[in-house]
Amino acid sequence: MPDHDVLVIGAGLAGQRAALAAAEQGVSVGIVSKVHPVRSHSNAAQGGINAALQEDDTWESHAFDTIKGSDYLADQDAVEIMCRAAPDELLHLEHLGVTFHRNEEGKLGTRAFGGASAARTYYVADITGQAIMHVLYEQLMKFSEDVARYEEYFTTGLALGDDGSCVGAVCRNVRDGSMELFGAKAVILATGGNGQAWHPTTNALICTGDGIAQAYRAGAKLMDMEMIQYHPTTLAGKGFLITEGARGEGAHLLNANGERFMEKYAPNKMELASRDVVSRAEQTEIQEGRGFEDGTVSLDITVVPRKRIHEALREIVLVGRDFAGVDITKEPIHIKPGNHYTMGGVKTDIEGRTNVPGLYAAGEVACVSVHGGNRLGANSLLDTLIFGRRSGVDAANRAKGREPAAPSRAVLRDEERRVADILGREKGSGRRVSEIRKELGQTMDGKVAVFRDAEGLNEALETVKRLKEEALTCYIDDRSAVFNQDVLGAIELGYMLDNAEATCVAAIHRTESRGAQYRTDFPERNDDEWLKHIDLRYSDDGPEISYSEVTITQWEPEERRY
Amino acid sequence: MAEFTLKVRRFKPEDRQGPYWESFDVELDPTLSVLDGLLQAKDRDDGSLAVRCSCRAAICGSCGVKINGQSTLACKTMLEEAQSYAESHAVAAQEGGDKTAGNGRTEIVVEPMGNMPVIKDLVTDMESTHWKKIRRVTPWLLPEGDPPEREYIVPPESMIDITQSMACIQCGACVSSCLSMEADPDFIGPAALAKAYRFVGDPRDAEGKERLHDLAQDPHGIYDCTHCFSCIDACPKGVAPMDQIMRLRRAAEHEGIQDQNHGHNHMEAFTKIIEKKGTLDEAQLLQDSYAPGIKGKLVPKHGAIKGLLESLPTAIRGIKTGKMRSLPKLIPGVHAKLPGDAQDHVKRIYAHAEDHEIELNLYIRGEEADEQVEEAVARPGADEGLAPGGGS
Amino acid sequence: MAYWPGCVSRGFTPELHGSTALVADRLGIELVELDRANCCGAGVIAEHNQELADTLNARTFALAQQTGLPMMNICSTCQGAQSECEQRLRDSEYRSHINESLAEEGLSYDPEGFTNKNFLWVLVEDYGLDKLKEQAQRPLGGLRVGPFYGCYILRPKHRLGYEEHPERDLYLDRLIEALGGEVVQYDGARKCCGFPIITMARDVSLRQAGTHLGDALDAGADCLVTPCPLCHLNLDMQQPEAAKVVNRDLGLAVLHLPQLVGLALGFEPKQLGMSKHIASTKWVEQRLAEPVAA
Repeated sequence: MPDHDVLVIGAGLAGQRAALAAAEQGVSVGIVSKVHPVRSHSNAAQGGINAALQEDDTWESHAFDTIKGSDYLADQDAVEIMCRAAPDELLHLEHLGVTFHRNEEGKLGTRAFGGASAARTYYVADITGQAIMHVLYEQLMKFSEDVARYEEYFTTGLALGDDGSCVGAVCRNVRDGSMELFGAKAVILATGGNGQAWHPTTNALICTGDGIAQAYRAGAKLMDMEMIQYHPTTLAGKGFLITEGARGEGAHLLNANGERFMEKYAPNKMELASRDVVSRAEQTEIQEGRGFEDGTVSLDITVVPRKRIHEALREIVLVGRDFAGVDITKEPIHIKPGNHYTMGGVKTDIEGRTNVPGLYAAGEVACVSVHGGNRLGANSLLDTLIFGRRSGVDAANRAKGREPAAPSRAVLRDEERRVADILGREKGSGRRVSEIRKELGQTMDGKVAVFRDAEGLNEALETVKRLKEEALTCYIDDRSAVFNQDVLGAIELGYMLDNAEATCVAAIHRTESRGAQYRTDFPERNDDEWLKHIDLRYSDDGPEISYSEVTITQWEPEERRY
Repeated sequence: MAEFTLKVRRFKPEDRQGPYWESFDVELDPTLSVLDGLLQAKDRDDGSLAVRCSCRAAICGSCGVKINGQSTLACKTMLEEAQSYAESHAVAAQEGGDKTAGNGRTEIVVEPMGNMPVIKDLVTDMESTHWKKIRRVTPWLLPEGDPPEREYIVPPESMIDITQSMACIQCGACVSSCLSMEADPDFIGPAALAKAYRFVGDPRDAEGKERLHDLAQDPHGIYDCTHCFSCIDACPKGVAPMDQIMRLRRAAEHEGIQDQNHGHNHMEAFTKIIEKKGTLDEAQLLQDSYAPGIKGKLVPKHGAIKGLLESLPTAIRGIKTGKMRSLPKLIPGVHAKLPGDAQDHVKRIYAHAEDHEIELNLYIRGEEADEQVEEAVARPGADEGLAPGGGS
Repeated sequence: MAYWPGCVSRGFTPELHGSTALVADRLGIELVELDRANCCGAGVIAEHNQELADTLNARTFALAQQTGLPMMNICSTCQGAQSECEQRLRDSEYRSHINESLAEEGLSYDPEGFTNKNFLWVLVEDYGLDKLKEQAQRPLGGLRVGPFYGCYILRPKHRLGYEEHPERDLYLDRLIEALGGEVVQYDGARKCCGFPIITMARDVSLRQAGTHLGDALDAGADCLVTPCPLCHLNLDMQQPEAAKVVNRDLGLAVLHLPQLVGLALGFEPKQLGMSKHIASTKWVEQRLAEPVAA
């Protein structure tokens, strides 16, 4: 049984950072990932990473922008920590070798990004996430003696001790199908988001909310699950992302009449208002008939100088060319809001601890909360690194001086049985996994998207409940052991349904519009009643609702205008 | 919606049979990708079809495959383009067999990547080939001493320059297509060498010369690349691995590294011969690649004697058949110069170009449009200033 | 055509130069030889110094432009090396810098209207295979020919005109058929002969050549045909050495493109310089003399 002091599940930016930070503390570390680490979805983060590093910038300004961007739902102590730590973390990355863009003096150069009052986004062309993640992986290769990598191991469940603390996990080796019990004194979930429960989404196929569901089932609280970000510029149909960096470089949003419509909604910031504001603006234009026939508006990048496009927006040149047949240097590209990020997730404190002892969470899977009701562009990369590091350090400290964990083999047997049950279902005994998944995705995108109301949300919840029933008998084709993706898909479906249920319940419950949650039946923000987080806890009868306070340090909630 | 047939090379290790072909009929919008087709086949027909995939947008690098014999990403190859290629080209099936499906439609052939062992269906073992070779080039920054208080100060062009290498998503398509690796499985390979350039070209790395020395001396290193451009064609991100290998060769030359593979000598010999004679003196090239002269005297380097001797039988055969009967061909150095004053002009071109050595990288520059491009006025203060829209 | 014969056709593969002259004459293609032009660099000079390679080739292009005729080469490697430079030279700022160098000789390169095509492309796109077929006085009678293209006219597609001519990687097949031969499909047709590394990694180089020759033999080829003299060197001149590396007897004739065309036009093997080859072409001559019944 692989035994480590700290076990990190998920090897994107947060997971890799946590593993390196824990290893630096001198404890034994294992990192598990269901795909090869560099395939993690962090590589899709294009635009950049925020830090108040410039002389004339302050962490307070960054923090305020973040809190305002969150529509005041973010916990300000966590935001302060993140913004204060950002400059050092950025320099740390640069020292490791990240190839950040430079200005003429050879120093780190910035670009403008949404919701920011100063240009503080540091970047590598438009492949920032990929660049940082690959450099962290380089470090993992360098320190392979200190961090054991379990690449292509799928986690099926967490292991809890008798005292309810987390003592490890059960993972399936994808290559040969064997299931193993991993023991750990601390487990850090860094499994990312749940965008695949919506269709379309910018998210990769692997973003199925695994860690959120696993933590939920293990008794951890989830928080702010209704806060789902729709990114303003995604390709219609395919859902691919066009980075906010394009707007940072000066691109314009136009409706079908050629008007720069953001003037009506955010006269100051225009295209660089916060994402929820821009998405709602676009959706309104589309719904009121000023969009194109394919349900889109257009993003005009031709106003950016060609040299700059080639230098800093290369990726979207390729995306435009390969997936939309458009040369963005010559013509505008059609876009619309699309599912992109979950601000909500597993509730943690500022050290990444959940309410389950020994269980941590960091990155998109977690909800500290630094993003509150809406996340600013280029803050997610920051979030993963700051809280990845903090979790790694705290988990390592927890592990030191602690007796080795001894997860019971009964947990392994339970998981093996669960998998065997899926493998054993007869063909035609129920629906196919892909059918249920498709229905889930369409339901969520139809009713739990930019504009929501009680009727739609309740219908969505009913559908999700029905699909949960159907998922219990869904069947697969592949009974083999080697690289059986089919059985993993069935397990992931279960995770997505848990995530979707939590989101629906929370969205129904919050009778208010704040950040990414916009209720057409409750269009106003209501600080008196709703300046609080919605927490959910698993029970056999469905999610149990409770509330937690929003921590306010310096910034009293104000009206939010861009 | 259109119909396509994907002919997939399958392999199920537990069945204890060898690889076999299976065809899947799919129905999709022709502007969707081969990956979308494979996923439809998986969803509808056979969930046991194994293919790595994640982002669907050519950024994660999971779905490297061979489509119609070409190494590429499945998510980036559109069905209609794959179909028309299959139709116009004689796509040789590996074990013979008909290319057309039962319905007479030409099939799109999908196979796992080459130069790697196959685990199942389209999933290959990248760890034992691709990743092992990546680790071979010490793929992490090796700075000197302690880091500065703030950032390292580096020329902005250098970061943009290595962004081309950094764009690599480790998909393995280049490794799959590499013809040198087919003949020499120990060749370090395009992906690893492109990664090596990322460090050699990074001013913050202090071991550039050592890296170059290592990769130049290794017989499976930079001089083992057969210069066939396959990796450039295969790479979905414009990394152009072969170009990075050539930059490594150039860098090695600048560091004065005399490799035991005669790579440096060959390059230098070729260049000098054209300066003197304008066209290639093959015999001189052969001699100088192994044993460059100093002031006209032969100075054999490591392995030179062996190299020259190995070439002797070929030379003799050439003389026998009459290919090389004239003096200029037989004797190095007797080759004629260009007529008239042409050679002088060539020499002057050399003087000018060797002075500048401009390296125009179209990846960074972009290609000029045919019409006049109206350059929009650059926004002031883009780097250190304020958000657009006038906000402060 | 403004004719750039390349270096090797006048050096170690003189039979190429000779057969080109005969064939062009018979087909009525006038060749104005660019005798003042310089080596294309074969990609090796570009490895050393891109600006140098670009200037040298810009000079050749400018010399061709002086004749007012479209340019033609007879070597895949020249085509590839020159196309690479042509692509960079499209950048006007760079090009004016390069032209400064050429000004001393009174030369200037202007990409407007300039074309450089190798003989294979000229035959298919400009001359026309149907017309060529008509000229064939002695069709090849089912001679089994394996095409060997040469990397430098196949890749990378984006700078070899594949967008306008997506089937350039099929031309040799079509030509063989038009001349009455039978195309032999084998693995190595579009792979690398190994020539670029013959001095640097000799074994790897010859293993490639030997493998492709062997595969063609196994597929029943009577001969190979190639439009690249450098490929010819590794496949023909080095054939006995390649045989040692792959540990099998080879003995497969390798013809230059103009030689294959010349045979179909009715020229005698000796006229086309086939006796100069290292790998004997006797078998091909035999097959042509008494074509095997289909």
